[in-house]
Amino acid sequence: MSKYRDVFLEEATEHLAEMSRALLELEKDAARAESIDLLFRMAHSIKGMAASLEYDAITQVAHRLEDHMQEVRSAGVAVDVAGMALLFRGLEMLESMVASVRETGEAPAHALQLNPAAAALVDPPDGEGAEKKA
Amino acid sequence: MARILVADDASFMRQMIREIIEAEGHEVVAEASDGVEAVACFKEHHPDLVTMDIVMPRCSGIDAVKGIRELDTTVAVVMCSALGQESLVTEAMEAGATDFIVKPFKPDTVVETLARALEKGGQ
Repeated sequence: MSKYRDVFLEEATEHLAEMSRALLELEKDAARAESIDLLFRMAHSIKGMAASLEYDAITQVAHRLEDHMQEVRSAGVAVDVAGMALLFRGLEMLESMVASVRETGEAPAHALQLNPAAAALVDPPDGEGAEKKA
Repeated sequence: MARILVADDASFMRQMIREIIEAEGHEVVAEASDGVEAVACFKEHHPDLVTMDIVMPRCSGIDAVKGIRELDTTVAVVMCSALGQESLVTEAMEAGATDFIVKPFKPDTVVETLARALEKGGQ
């Protein structure tokens, strides 16, 4: 699996850089369809790769961002202030989790263990019994 | 042995599915990273089967299936979807896809689905 890990790290890093650029574009124009579409596709792609490697923490955050962008795409609306905050926080979480894979070679810890501010992005770790988020 | 075209915007996914396909003795004749390229590669290589990601830039996998079906009604096209994309899978099947597999790929399921699709061909 280590060769797939290397491909994941390379591709996820590129995707995160593209997401970061798209977020900056959205700050200027929150309805920019190309940026919304790109954020959806990049989050979707990171989710698929992370799921294949059983990086559940990354899968969960990427899935949350993908779902949010899908909602925005379907509604044909601009990303609102709360949505932008979610995207910035999610991107930051993904970057730190991908960095963790690069440094340790292991699946990253649950997002909430890395950063309590991830509560809006993920379900709690198993056994903590909080209500499941959509 | 079948000649297969793999279309996915993630090289990670292309590499993973290529390995499964080649381990079964099939040949990957080309890889495409978006829907436009998938249709162009199809015209050039005339594969026996296409694995097609749904979410891709420029032209989605669903539009690429429609493009391929205008050229060939018998080739097998297997969609690669993710959990939660049921409505897109339905749309792809209506557009002419033969079958689908769900990411993350399970090698046994991929092999079985491709074999079944090769038997069935286009709908």
